[in-house]
Amino acid sequence: GASASLLCFPGPVMLFLAGVFAHLERLEAEAREIAVKQEKMKQEEEKRARLKAKVRELKLQRDKLLAKLRLQKKVKLREKRAMSDPAKSGARAVLEWKIKNVKATLQVSYLTGINGKRTKQGVCFCITTAYESTYLDSYYVHLLVKPEVQIHQHSVPTFIPLEQIAKKYLQTDIGRFLSVLSDHLNAYAGRKYQADQLEEHFSDQIEGTLQRNSLCNLLVFNYKLSSKSKTFPFKARLLYGDLCCSLPTEVNVSCTCKWMVWGSVWESGVGRPYCGSADGWGFFLVEFGDKREQAAILLRDKRL
Amino acid sequence: MDETVAEYIRRTVLKIPRDEIKTMLQKWGLLSETQLQTINFRQIKENISQDVVQLCEEISADIKQAAVLDIIYNHVYPNKRVWSVYQMKKTGEETEFFDLTDFKKKFKRRLRSALKNVTINFREYEDNAIWIRIAWGTPYTKPNQYKPSYVVYHSQTPYVFISASVLKSNLPLLCQALVLASNYHDIREMELRSHSLNSLKDIVFKRYSQNFQTHYPRPLQERNVAPESADLRIIEENKNEKERIERVNREVFGDGPQPKLEFAQYKLETMFKSDPQMDVLDKKEPFRCLVKFSSPHLLESLKSLAPAGMADAPISPLLTCIPQKARNYFKIRERKHFFPGSFVSP
Repeated sequence: GASASLLCFPGPVMLFLAGVFAHLERLEAEAREIAVKQEKMKQEEEKRARLKAKVRELKLQRDKLLAKLRLQKKVKLREKRAMSDPAKSGARAVLEWKIKNVKATLQVSYLTGINGKRTKQGVCFCITTAYESTYLDSYYVHLLVKPEVQIHQHSVPTFIPLEQIAKKYLQTDIGRFLSVLSDHLNAYAGRKYQADQLEEHFSDQIEGTLQRNSLCNLLVFNYKLSSKSKTFPFKARLLYGDLCCSLPTEVNVSCTCKWMVWGSVWESGVGRPYCGSADGWGFFLVEFGDKREQAAILLRDKRL
Repeated sequence: MDETVAEYIRRTVLKIPRDEIKTMLQKWGLLSETQLQTINFRQIKENISQDVVQLCEEISADIKQAAVLDIIYNHVYPNKRVWSVYQMKKTGEETEFFDLTDFKKKFKRRLRSALKNVTINFREYEDNAIWIRIAWGTPYTKPNQYKPSYVVYHSQTPYVFISASVLKSNLPLLCQALVLASNYHDIREMELRSHSLNSLKDIVFKRYSQNFQTHYPRPLQERNVAPESADLRIIEENKNEKERIERVNREVFGDGPQPKLEFAQYKLETMFKSDPQMDVLDKKEPFRCLVKFSSPHLLESLKSLAPAGMADAPISPLLTCIPQKARNYFKIRERKHFFPGSFVSP
């Protein structure tokens, strides 16, 4: 009780006290409001935190479910593929087999002798040479087709008359050009192979080295034939007149030594063919030409 | 035996490395095996050469026989000389039956009719190469054996390899004799020079490896695959780019070894291209400049430029066309077209 402690104060002091009390009341009310507000805010924050946590939880759940869904989809797809239409896979396999076959054919096509491949600038032809049943070297000619047919690059040896063949046939008939070039290259490869084989397999009978030229179209060599302790030295000259042919067009065999016949020295008759025989060998000696070249034709009597 | 011959033999033997002297003398064939056995090949070269001269005196060797030893030496060591390539032209289409004796006769006759004082030697080798050695004199002096010219000719090919001596004035006569003897009608010098005779032959006879596109895989396609780094922590960053460079390089240079050239020379006669505002030159005239690339093995070094990262692949065709165009001296002039550039003169 304020009334109990109603004291006697003078008038102005009373007014002052009343003002203070009012102020204090006001302050109290404000404090109360603030406290309420704070309480409210605290509650709201708590609520928000709770909701955030819940959102996170829900998001996690959603992700888990999505992953599950994706996995399921994959499995389904795999099963689908495995169970795919057998007819369709068969067609695909056949197509792949066909492509492989064509590729293999192209790879082996060099065995035909002439084959070509398209390039950015034209065509690259490969000419493979062979003699009888042996494959020999390959030669390449890269042709450009624009603005006109011309040889861009090649690996043809210089002694093959490539420019001449090209001048004749390249502009008008590429097939003919390739065929003629192939003839030249095959013939050269054949002659070279034969000369190599001759050197290799008859090395004991050939005296010295085999003389040849770049085109292998002129072979000169000395060789000896022996029978019953007698050796007869010969000189052979093979001329291959046709550059597209691997067989000679002209052969000269000559012998310039003196012969021992029946124990006596025999000398060539001048201008007359001489015939004789010894130990089953029959020979004819012929002299010809202004240089008196001698050629001996030796015959063996097989009955003896 | 003439003193000059003795001196020439002595000097030729001195050129040969000591370990090779015996084999070369055997190839020479002038001294018999018994004679060679009397020489001690372990002594100093001076003494060996004196012994050889002594033996040659006993059989009175002449200058032609002595010259054969010089040919043998140059055939074993051709890279000591600089060789130029010449190309002959013929009009006719007759098949050539190359007759060696005929060739030699015609060649000697032509040379001797113009110049009496010459020493000419021929020697044939198994790869169809004919080596000719010519020592030149003048109408009043004997041939100088120390400055001979060498000619290497493969029959039935239009190419001749000449290592001329310093006396270049005899070159026209030599060319004329060659053309006549081999039944061609014209000869011109190609812009191709090198120390390595075999590489020059590889280039003009097309014996070097060129890359042609075919369907079938050729047997020599295995390349040396560098072993993958065992350490898995090392990752190749620019793998794709590296593979692209290798592929482009292989397309241009081929797989095999490159012919050996020592230099490539480009003579530029192009206009100087500057900013029009700068206008360095008053007159519009070509800016003359000579660019020379030199290396112990030029083509191999060009081949390794792109993989080493020093140049972009593909390398400029001016450099890569060298073996295909069979030249290593170029003149580059302005191209007279709408797009300014440069073109290589034929």
